[in-house]
Amino acid sequence: MRKLLFALLFAGLALGPFCGPASAADQMSKAEKGKLFLLGAQLWPTYCNQCHNARPGSEFSPQEWDAIMIHMRTLSNMPAKDARAIQEYLKGGR
Amino acid sequence: MSPIKVRMGLLARAALTVVILAIATVTVAPQALADDAAAQAKALKRVERELRQLRADRAHDRKVIEQLKQTVDQMEGQAAQLKSANEQVKSAQTKTAQQVSEIQGRVNSGPSPRQFSQAFGSYFGTHTFEITGAAGVDYIYDQQSGALNGLPHQSQNTFLADWEPMILYRPTDWILFEGVISTAFGATGTGADLSTADFQLQLNDYLTVVGGLFDQPFGDWYEAQSPMWVNRFVSAPLPFGVDPVVPPGEMGVQLRGGLQWGALGQDFDYTTWVGDGAGYSEPVAGAAVGSPNPVAFTQTNGKGYGARLRIYPLPVDANWGRLELGASTYDSKWLDGSWYNSWGVDYNYFIGHLQTRGEWTQAYRDIPGGPSDNRQGWYVQAGYYLSGVHLPFGPEINKVVQRLEPLIRYSGVNQHFVAIDDIAAATGVGMGGIQTGLVPDFGLNGSPALYAPHSREVALGLDYWIAPSIVWQNEFDIELPEAGGTFVAGDGTMTPVGAVPNDRAFLTQFTIGF
Repeated sequence: MRKLLFALLFAGLALGPFCGPASAADQMSKAEKGKLFLLGAQLWPTYCNQCHNARPGSEFSPQEWDAIMIHMRTLSNMPAKDARAIQEYLKGGR
Repeated sequence: MSPIKVRMGLLARAALTVVILAIATVTVAPQALADDAAAQAKALKRVERELRQLRADRAHDRKVIEQLKQTVDQMEGQAAQLKSANEQVKSAQTKTAQQVSEIQGRVNSGPSPRQFSQAFGSYFGTHTFEITGAAGVDYIYDQQSGALNGLPHQSQNTFLADWEPMILYRPTDWILFEGVISTAFGATGTGADLSTADFQLQLNDYLTVVGGLFDQPFGDWYEAQSPMWVNRFVSAPLPFGVDPVVPPGEMGVQLRGGLQWGALGQDFDYTTWVGDGAGYSEPVAGAAVGSPNPVAFTQTNGKGYGARLRIYPLPVDANWGRLELGASTYDSKWLDGSWYNSWGVDYNYFIGHLQTRGEWTQAYRDIPGGPSDNRQGWYVQAGYYLSGVHLPFGPEINKVVQRLEPLIRYSGVNQHFVAIDDIAAATGVGMGGIQTGLVPDFGLNGSPALYAPHSREVALGLDYWIAPSIVWQNEFDIELPEAGGTFVAGDGTMTPVGAVPNDRAFLTQFTIGF
């Protein structure tokens, strides 16, 4: 167990600088954002409802969703691209 | 008179002179012609002079015409320039009017939410500070009339207030600090508990590092279901209540992440962690496990290690719902190198209005010189939203009915030993850290079944959802302890007991996730 943990830690830290931190959707083009929004709309009811009632985008500001979605991605371990899609949907669907 | 007319006049006069001469020549007799030869020669010379004059005049006229032509061309060029300039001015005026109109329109309509948000966000900077969390008010009635003869009863007929703010601080899009403070006011006074306080670093799409005090990532309950408004019931299932099988929190470091392995929705995720390890209320069999707490440092000679893997086999596009299957293990040293080992499996599934989840956990604890303290715990629950139901009683009644969610849960814990001091001291449950007073931050259930050797509980629930995160919850618990076991005192004295008598409890809670 300990060896596995250290192996994962080193692998992650080694890969980290190359993969970079989670890229922001702000850097995307309008068309890419549109695609992401649609994907988010599809995933939002499925991923969120798995643990709790899905909350609408209007409940929080886009800045608040940015913080909440880091928390939710960490907690749920959902794929990063799916988290970005849901984030875009929640921010854009206000 | 114009030069052209002058020229035409001169030409006419010359032509007339030629005609007169011709007539005179024809009509005058040849004698007269001879006589007038000198006069004619003179006349011819005069005509020639006039013709020369006419040519000179014509050349002059041409020159004048050329000059006039040039003047006209210049004037036409200037006129064209003026016209062009005028058009440019007109165009600029139209453009300006349009721009003013657009600006006026924008001012009148105001910025879009996204524009406003961007402006607002950039004004306040990239650092985000936010408070979310949950709050609730509970009422619990639990008579416990026949419970635990000779031991402290926990009869309850009381109100509780619980407030759990979660503070999120996001300095950038891949770093988050999160802290949850659980506070409550209840029968034993006000309590406060630091439930979680951790940093989350999302290093890349596949790895997140979490460091600090966090919910135990074992199974699904502690991490995903413990907030008041998320838990469909008022109370926690028996394996996760005040006498849990697995420690509710850990102080350490996690590595975690997820990825898509198949179609959309077919995911896999992992979590591994190392921490201070499990601690117990007392170094005796049956003692309540709680970690991290100050006891852990004196009891533990090593660290705790955990891992959890989960898989989601159903693709989203198939519309078969969402299914999660997970397996967890948590192993820790305690009390001078003795081992605590646990493992568990869990599932959750939801489709449409139906959701169901369940977990099985098992723990083994070595006690030096004593019996092994083994425990098993489980729960399975299901709920169904009536939002799709239409009864023939009018819209007002349907409106109420469609907000209801009936629930049922069966949970149990098998343990041979129960620490008497835990029963006497039980005031609530905290997620970890230093706990004072009553902190029912993820479900309080004062039923004696919690401390029964072989507890069983059937919980019936009826939730009324006002909004996605605002709910009035009602729960009726039927406690059905199955068999007896042994009560253990702090000095290690063991007393065999039979099955704890059955009990009933009613709990109601109004809670908001904010």
